[in-house]
Amino acid sequence: MNCSKTHKLISPYIDGELQVRDREAFESHIKSCRACSRAFEEARNMLHLFAHGEKFKAPYGFSTRVIANITSEKAKGFSWIPMVTRSAEVLVLLVIIFTGIISGTFLSDRLMAEKKTLIRASFFLDIFEPTPPDSLGGVYLAMTEVGDEK
Amino acid sequence: MPEIPDDLNIINRFKNGDVLAFEDVVMKYRDRIYNLCSYMLGNVQDAEDAAQDTFLKAYRSLNDFKPKASLYTWLYRIAVNTCIDHKRRPFFESIFRRSDTGEEMVIEHPSTSPSPEKVYDSKQIQDALQEALRKLSPKMRAVIVLKELEGLSYEEIADTLDISIGTVKSRISRARDDLKVSLKDFTEQK
Repeated sequence: MNCSKTHKLISPYIDGELQVRDREAFESHIKSCRACSRAFEEARNMLHLFAHGEKFKAPYGFSTRVIANITSEKAKGFSWIPMVTRSAEVLVLLVIIFTGIISGTFLSDRLMAEKKTLIRASFFLDIFEPTPPDSLGGVYLAMTEVGDEK
Repeated sequence: MPEIPDDLNIINRFKNGDVLAFEDVVMKYRDRIYNLCSYMLGNVQDAEDAAQDTFLKAYRSLNDFKPKASLYTWLYRIAVNTCIDHKRRPFFESIFRRSDTGEEMVIEHPSTSPSPEKVYDSKQIQDALQEALRKLSPKMRAVIVLKELEGLSYEEIADTLDISIGTVKSRISRARDDLKVSLKDFTEQK
């Protein structure tokens, strides 16, 4: 048996999983190979640490808390209330969304109509007021008209 | 202390409507399930939460339990899956469970040894064991905890995790190799 195979068999050897032939070959190699013997001892030491690992115990009151959780779950049973609450929440959300969409559309239509009127109006000269005759501009216009006639 | 009845008796009582029979399940397996969750999660609060969840899930589905499987492997299966799910919790849920250094807290364990030097050594070893387990993937950790700390056979581990015995053997072998590296300060031959 070579070192590579021996290394692979360390774990099954420790667990007593090897057939007689493999076990004997493994033991024979371990006796003659210092490196494999060392690897085997290290694996055993590692498992020794686990054997002395702490055994944790459930904390005080653990069982009472488990039973209390179960009892409260049983007491709750099936209830329509959470479903109704959730449906109401969804309904309110939908109402808010649709109100937003409708009012937004309405407002944008009105604003667009006003804007269109203003744009259209800006193409006409009607927006200019005629110059009053007694104003400085009116006197100036009258003088220029008289000059032109001459 | 009253004697706890055997599993079949408990299950039959539960299936016949005696819901108090579940108290016997909790009493009988609370320490084993809590121990498993402690090593799987490495954190006191998470271990208690997962162990509580395990029993709650078991209570909900005990009526569907088939007695051909053993009750404890069935409970272990629920516990392992619960611990794996617990580990997958979003970061914002688990952040408050971490210590100031960001590392998961190592479980404090009561000392049982008389000499102070021995107490320090055993605590050091315990911390190293949990740190080494934390480095393993949840699947590897589950096989090692079931084998080395719960003492289950290959067959029982295969039943618990619903995997083949060959997979159990290969996972154990690989996990031991990884653990040997993590624990080399404690295992190396001087």
